[in-house]
Amino acid sequence: MPDAFDLLILGSGSTAFAAAIGASELGARVAMVERRTLGGTCVNRGCLPSKNLIEAARLVRDAAHPRYDGLVPAQLVVDFPALIGQKDQVVRDYRAKKYNAVADGMSDLQILDGSAAFDSPTSVSLDGRTIAADRFLVATGSRPIVPKIPGLDSVPYLTSDLLDADEAGRLTDLPESLIVLGGGYIAVELAQMFSRLGSRVTIVARSGLLRGYEPELGATLSEVFAAEGIEVLANTRTDGVSGNSQGVAVTVETPTAGRILRAQRLLAATGRRPNTDDLGLDQIGVELDADGYVVVDAELRTKVAHVWAAGDVIGGQHGSQMATPVGARQGRIVAENAFKGARRRVDHEVIPRAIFTDPPIGVVGLTEAEVKAKHFPAVSATTPLKYVPRAGAIHRPEGFVKMIASTIDERILGVHMIGESAAEVIHEAAMAMHFKATIDDFIDLIHVYPTMSEALKIGAQAFRKDVTKLSCCAE
Amino acid sequence: MDQSIVFIDLGVGGMTCDGCVVHVTKALEAVPGVANATVDLASRSAVVTANPGVATEALAAAVHATGQYNAFERRRRPASNA
Ligand SMILES: Cc1cc2nc3c(=O)[nH]c(=O)nc-3n(C[C@H](O)[C@H](O)[C@H](O)COP(=O)(O)OP(=O)(O)OC[C@H]3O[C@@H](n4cnc5c(N)ncnc54)[C@H](O)[C@@H]3O)c2cc1C
Repeated sequence: MPDAFDLLILGSGSTAFAAAIGASELGARVAMVERRTLGGTCVNRGCLPSKNLIEAARLVRDAAHPRYDGLVPAQLVVDFPALIGQKDQVVRDYRAKKYNAVADGMSDLQILDGSAAFDSPTSVSLDGRTIAADRFLVATGSRPIVPKIPGLDSVPYLTSDLLDADEAGRLTDLPESLIVLGGGYIAVELAQMFSRLGSRVTIVARSGLLRGYEPELGATLSEVFAAEGIEVLANTRTDGVSGNSQGVAVTVETPTAGRILRAQRLLAATGRRPNTDDLGLDQIGVELDADGYVVVDAELRTKVAHVWAAGDVIGGQHGSQMATPVGARQGRIVAENAFKGARRRVDHEVIPRAIFTDPPIGVVGLTEAEVKAKHFPAVSATTPLKYVPRAGAIHRPEGFVKMIASTIDERILGVHMIGESAAEVIHEAAMAMHFKATIDDFIDLIHVYPTMSEALKIGAQAFRKDVTKLSCCAE
Repeated sequence: MDQSIVFIDLGVGGMTCDGCVVHVTKALEAVPGVANATVDLASRSAVVTANPGVATEALAAAVHATGQYNAFERRRRPASNA
């Protein structure tokens, strides 16, 4: 029997890769098990393909709505299969460079294909084989929830897996019309993308758009969507689904009336759940919470001392978020805790996030509701982006930045922005918060003129004065 | 057979050349209770011959103190099984 691996990682996503690289640098012999495609969700059917297609959809939209008098709208022809073809190529290239080649370059890493489940505390079974290891990392990620809607099991429907480059669930034809179930970030990104590429899109959301985020973000996005011709049915219950490969009918109950919606395709984007059902974790004593997430301590250790978990599979514990760079950071921490005795704890105080709608959204830190729930004494200031010189100069005045500051020491506790370049601008706020910046730190920093980052300087000034009266360069 | 001797298998990270092997060997052999250490670059591992009282943490700390390398314990074997 071959020697046991020092570390066996279940999964091969960004969390797994960060852990594998870290552990290997520390001298460990590592194996990684994958049952779908190497690289996991982000590269194959998540961040990368969605951001690729969203940008293409923006080009189509901008050509048809150029914002400037003197630029004549143009109709770009969308060759959807070709668009999907280039997306698949981007995914395959990126996967080859950032995952396969990296794995090939690590002499002490073995990639094993198949579906793994624990058969003892020190081994997993993998398609009939037993693989032993001294330590384990559960990094099996998450998958789309199948919502409990009568009739859904007998109707063809899409999930975000439609983005995949190589699997059966991938989408290659543009739906003429699409009903999107869900109002979270994946739902709104994909809804706008399909709408801009030419589908007639209806969103059905149980509450409003982007529940859990600062409420004004979802409200602003709803206005943008309405203006773009996306129908948003908020506070709407879905009662049933019927249909076939030609089309679907969805029975919904809006706050005012019952309706039957019809479309060619249905996309279920109502959230994600952890891949922990069939891992045999309970048999070896690893605890799961009520939603199936692996329970970990702040060092990412499970209830079993030599088993760690990280990434999407731990959900929101210890302030974590289900996002690629968060999982990758955690993977690195697991490697150091497992092989260096580092006892590092996760630090999730500052996690910048973006939602790649147009206008994009960038958020970091606490929402006003979270601040209230924690009884922090705080104030907020919301500044419309029309007061940011660049927004006016390039005809992109829509959106706002909302900053939340402590009234004890004026530290910035949260920044929530929707508008041009928000996904980039949010990093300044994140770095500032990392160094515990105050309102004055944002005001005193000279910002490049004219940039959207000035929104943060102006947004901070809004705590002190009427920003509608600022001169050039926000002074 | 001397009952008070064990072999301790270590994984060693960060070594890129023979010089590294020398550094890690010296670091391990300086730990009180260690008789000798055999460090292998290719397999990124070491076998330490020591008395059973030598703690894992002491070996890891000695290697960490070099500033460049990492070591962790794989297992301990009684010398009679060698
Ligand atoms: C449409 C979409 C868009 C997204 N956009 C963004 C974005 O813009 N930015 C961002 O930061 N995040 C984004 N995310 C989230 C991001 O993709 C995830 O947070 C991230 O991929 C999680 O990484 P992970 O390594 O924890 O898990 P995963 O990447 O899901 O990897 C887990 C792997 O484990 C494998 N696996 C599961 N069970 C087993 C088993 N028993 N045996 C063997 N293998 C197994 C799975 O097949 C999978 O490949 C997006 C997600 C989606 C779906």
